[in-house]
Amino acid sequence: MSAGTPSGKLHIPISVSRIGIALMAATTAIAGLALCGIAFGRSPGELLAILASGSIGSSFALQGTLLKSVPLLLTGLSVAIAFRAGVWNIGGEGQFLIGALGAFLGARYGLIASLAAAVLAGAIWASIATAMRLWRNAPEVLTTILLNFIAIHLLGYAVNGPLQEASGKYPQSDAVPAGAALPLLGNLELHAGVVIAVLVAIAAWYLLYRTAEGLRLRATGFNRSAAKWAGVNVDAQLIRAMAISGAMAGLAGGIELLGVTHRLFERFAAGYGYAGIAVALLAQLHPLGTIASAFFFGALTTGAGELQRTAGISSMVATLAQAIVILAMIAFMRRSKASS
Amino acid sequence: MKRIRALLTLASLAFLLLGCPKPESSSAMKVGLLTPGSVNDNGWNAIAYEGLQEIHKQLHAEISNQETKTPAEFEEGFRSYGEKGYDLAFGHGFEFQDAALKAGKQYPKTIFITTSGSSVAPNVSPMVFELEQATYLLGVIAGRESKTGKAGVVGGINLPSIASTFLAFRAGAQSVNPNFEVKEIYTGNFDDAGAAKLATLSLINAGCDFIFHQANEAGRGVFQACQERKVRCFGSNKNQNDMAPDVIVASAVLDVPGAFVYMAKLVHDHKFKPQIYWLGRRQRVVSLVWNDRLKSSISPQTVAEVEKLDAAIQAGTFTVPRGKF
Repeated sequence: MSAGTPSGKLHIPISVSRIGIALMAATTAIAGLALCGIAFGRSPGELLAILASGSIGSSFALQGTLLKSVPLLLTGLSVAIAFRAGVWNIGGEGQFLIGALGAFLGARYGLIASLAAAVLAGAIWASIATAMRLWRNAPEVLTTILLNFIAIHLLGYAVNGPLQEASGKYPQSDAVPAGAALPLLGNLELHAGVVIAVLVAIAAWYLLYRTAEGLRLRATGFNRSAAKWAGVNVDAQLIRAMAISGAMAGLAGGIELLGVTHRLFERFAAGYGYAGIAVALLAQLHPLGTIASAFFFGALTTGAGELQRTAGISSMVATLAQAIVILAMIAFMRRSKASS
Repeated sequence: MKRIRALLTLASLAFLLLGCPKPESSSAMKVGLLTPGSVNDNGWNAIAYEGLQEIHKQLHAEISNQETKTPAEFEEGFRSYGEKGYDLAFGHGFEFQDAALKAGKQYPKTIFITTSGSSVAPNVSPMVFELEQATYLLGVIAGRESKTGKAGVVGGINLPSIASTFLAFRAGAQSVNPNFEVKEIYTGNFDDAGAAKLATLSLINAGCDFIFHQANEAGRGVFQACQERKVRCFGSNKNQNDMAPDVIVASAVLDVPGAFVYMAKLVHDHKFKPQIYWLGRRQRVVSLVWNDRLKSSISPQTVAEVEKLDAAIQAGTFTVPRGKF
């Protein structure tokens, strides 16, 4: 901010200014959406009212928001952990799919086995990229995104071939056994994955900020050579960060399968992996911030659905808002860096 | 400073939130549509949206639609329509079946229709298109008129619904010429016109003198190859006769908007009964459309035979074979 003197800046704790940046980015996105409404001949106030009532205005809407926040929270954490270690894991989409595939295969052995399989499958899939990095120094930005395509085709093959439903009618799998499905919370439409996701976020925060290993991981991401000189086993950090990151995206896929869809089909991921990048950026890679950020994007998607149903504005504007958030975050963060 | 500005923006937002939309009240029929993608895709979703707008025009229904990507959104969309007392909600694809059954239980007053599928409940039914009724007739034309005794079919992806139209085409051709050969090529996608063209050329080189396709956008390549080699062919799904009027003899036409209107009228007139709705020739959802410029190149006996069969299909006295799905 041009008006703030450098000495004045120091009085604002870093965490507060960070939250300020995130709030500004989120506000910019919502304001952008509201302004879009003018193009459709609607008043911004009316649009914001629909967005709010459609996302948090009723218990029905709130449940929809929470349901969508779960995969966003986990893929957001996945991105945050990897980025913290300095690894550009943009393969969340593929790890999500492989996690779901693993969960489906493990489902016959019960819920716990199924979730464990999802975690393991996601970790292994992400580790392929690490292996290529260590073996041939292949950049993760490339390998993870290419692994996404392989995962998409693998799933396509599975639901058209070996895992296709017994009746053989449509390219989808049969539903997982009822015993493996995530239980619903009380008499809500909400599954227990909400609790798991929040616990994972807290665990991730603890790992990153309350353990020596977390410090080493962040040091690796901050400055790899410095960390190396300080005695950190950088390779081990990269391997672990990527595996954890993949595990979380895999878990997201597993929870989505066991809690919502109950079966596999070709367009299973629907962008949750990529949306995780926006979620993590808005949270500025902080695990606890990711909870709020995932809720924000969940609410945005749910509200956008209502926006289309009642005002006829395409729900794809939620994707537009994601883009605005990323751009705004980059702009605000650069600005605050430049002025400090 | 940053905090102050953020607070100011938030405050102004909260101010804007105070303006609430007034609920609309009317006695008109309410119809909702969920599509699995953007309604501007010029294809599968666009055609469903066209159907929704037809419903609005013809039945003066209040309409609403949502582009949904995930099953969580399918369920939420259906529930929201149920919650708001919609009379009818469409889910445009087999993938909407689970969500329709779930929402159907919760909202017994709303009728949920999926495009294709097999799940039926007291207020849930699929509508399935019988394009086979027209592709069978195309097969009869090829069987009668081919000089080489061979026809080729070019498909995009080998989906049950597409394989079934080829099955009917082959059955039609072999019903008039038991030794008739139909060669099949799937290119693996619906948008690579180049691949479809190459596939068509290879079929023509193998002696096929009639070509039928189910390649959607890539069908363009099929017509190019046929025009270059002066081989007769057929259009599919839409009336494509104008795309290559010098070689396309006829098109197997599927009127998806018409199917949406048909179902909405049933619900509107309280004639809906839970069942699989097979929509074809009888409901005027499927038809065979001749290219008048080329119709004269087909022998009058064949034309008469096809028209007789067409009438039998419409009357329900003749059943066209179809794939099991």
